[in-house]
Amino acid sequence: MSLEKKDEFDHKGWMKEKDLTPVETTYLTALIWLDTRLRIVDYLEILETLYYRVNLQMPKSHTEQYNLDNKFWYWYPLYTLGLFSTLAYIVAAISGALLGFYYSPATSGDPTTAYSQIEFIMTELQFGFMLRSVHRWSAQVMVAAVFLHMLRVYFTGAYKEPRELNWLIGIVLISLTMVFGYTGYLLPWDQLAFWAGQIGVEMSLSIPLAGEWVAQLLFGGFTLSQATLQRMYIIHVFLLPFVVTTLIAIHIGIVWVQGIAEPH
Amino acid sequence: MTDTNDKTPETDGGEEVRADGTGIVAPDDETPTWRERKERTTGLSRLTYEYFERARREDQDLRQESTYVERDVLGFPTWPHETIRNLSIASFFVGMILFLSATMPPHIGPPANPSSTPAIILPDWYLYWSFGLLKLTPINPELAILDGQKIMADRTYGVLANIVVVGAIAIVPFLNKGSARRPVEEPFWAAVGVGGVVFAFTISVLAVQNLVPIAVPLLFDLTFLLPVVAGFVTYAVLKTMREGYMYDLNRRYYRLRPPK
Repeated sequence: MSLEKKDEFDHKGWMKEKDLTPVETTYLTALIWLDTRLRIVDYLEILETLYYRVNLQMPKSHTEQYNLDNKFWYWYPLYTLGLFSTLAYIVAAISGALLGFYYSPATSGDPTTAYSQIEFIMTELQFGFMLRSVHRWSAQVMVAAVFLHMLRVYFTGAYKEPRELNWLIGIVLISLTMVFGYTGYLLPWDQLAFWAGQIGVEMSLSIPLAGEWVAQLLFGGFTLSQATLQRMYIIHVFLLPFVVTTLIAIHIGIVWVQGIAEPH
Repeated sequence: MTDTNDKTPETDGGEEVRADGTGIVAPDDETPTWRERKERTTGLSRLTYEYFERARREDQDLRQESTYVERDVLGFPTWPHETIRNLSIASFFVGMILFLSATMPPHIGPPANPSSTPAIILPDWYLYWSFGLLKLTPINPELAILDGQKIMADRTYGVLANIVVVGAIAIVPFLNKGSARRPVEEPFWAAVGVGGVVFAFTISVLAVQNLVPIAVPLLFDLTFLLPVVAGFVTYAVLKTMREGYMYDLNRRYYRLRPPK
């Protein structure tokens, strides 16, 4: 059914015979763990030869290597979900930056400034209605694509042995995507946003031990106020973009390094 | 041979060539190479060097054992093959997003009003599962030792359920190892996956229980029953498929080598 696993060099036995200090053992274990997954050796070698060869070619994909193209093409849509979510993220970033020119996170006034700015965007701004629509839909599409991407990875066993690290990063990413969605959901400050925020505060208050601290940090207090909206805004437009963009880069970088795991 | 031997050697620039190992020329065979310098280091950098040497040798051995033959062309060129394909897929997807947003734009509800709680409070659809996990009150255990009191508040229990679900997904690669890739190869893990997907769906339905025309206790039971049933069916189907594969393989084997 599957390829037989090749025998590995006995790195553990080698370490045992070397009589190492605890520091050295920890260091070597970490180094070996990372190297068997990310092939640091290869990249050191590549650095050595990079000076002589500048050759822009895509590495040969698994499908090419095992000549799976004829059996593989109808699975292709499942394998492009990651690209799809990245694209949706980029579209959301662009439309979000444009929306940011007109939105302001303030709860003063009646209706609140935040709400009336959304109203302004939707009714008076040229293309504003479409802009908000694009932002919202790209967010929805991103979440859906990320979820389907996770299912694809699960059912093709692509999370397996050298790729655990990327699976964990992926879990962090899907969670952060949902936090992105949640913070964005609160920004219009309409009824749904307000009461979803209320649930969020109650959820964080019921975390054992750290609850009040978390509520204070994320929502700026135990009831919803100006502080809440402002924190949601900063998380949505400042903190998360940095963190998520970096993580996506690492996530894709690791896929590049390790190659795509396709079933065979 | 017009040079005289007593003259000190010079570079093209006229500088004196130092032959004691501090210049650009190695004085003799005693001068350590870079490899030897690396070997002579101590401590962690020495260990790094030794491990990398071993890892390289391992790679080389694997490469020599492998039956894989390199082709003349190492891969598709980036331009135009990959670029054109990626651009077309990208434009198609972005077009899909624009189409959705042009045909189904979102609207905005009434402004926030802290003094009136709406009848139905819901997050976006993708958080229903988490919202549903907050409604697990009926299975929050009551301890006889504590006179039937609950060990934690219902909402604490809900938040912990979220952590348990995410944690369970996170440890999958550390439990399921090996080179099997297809669901048929591992019916159990495929069944777990299908059960999980169905559970994500049923727990989302539980979250919107106000909108579902099923009695809440029944809905609650279905939430936990359906994933198990789905997992069980998946397991049975995949096991059967695997039997089929094995039957084919065996038949082919005995056709080639008929029993005497």
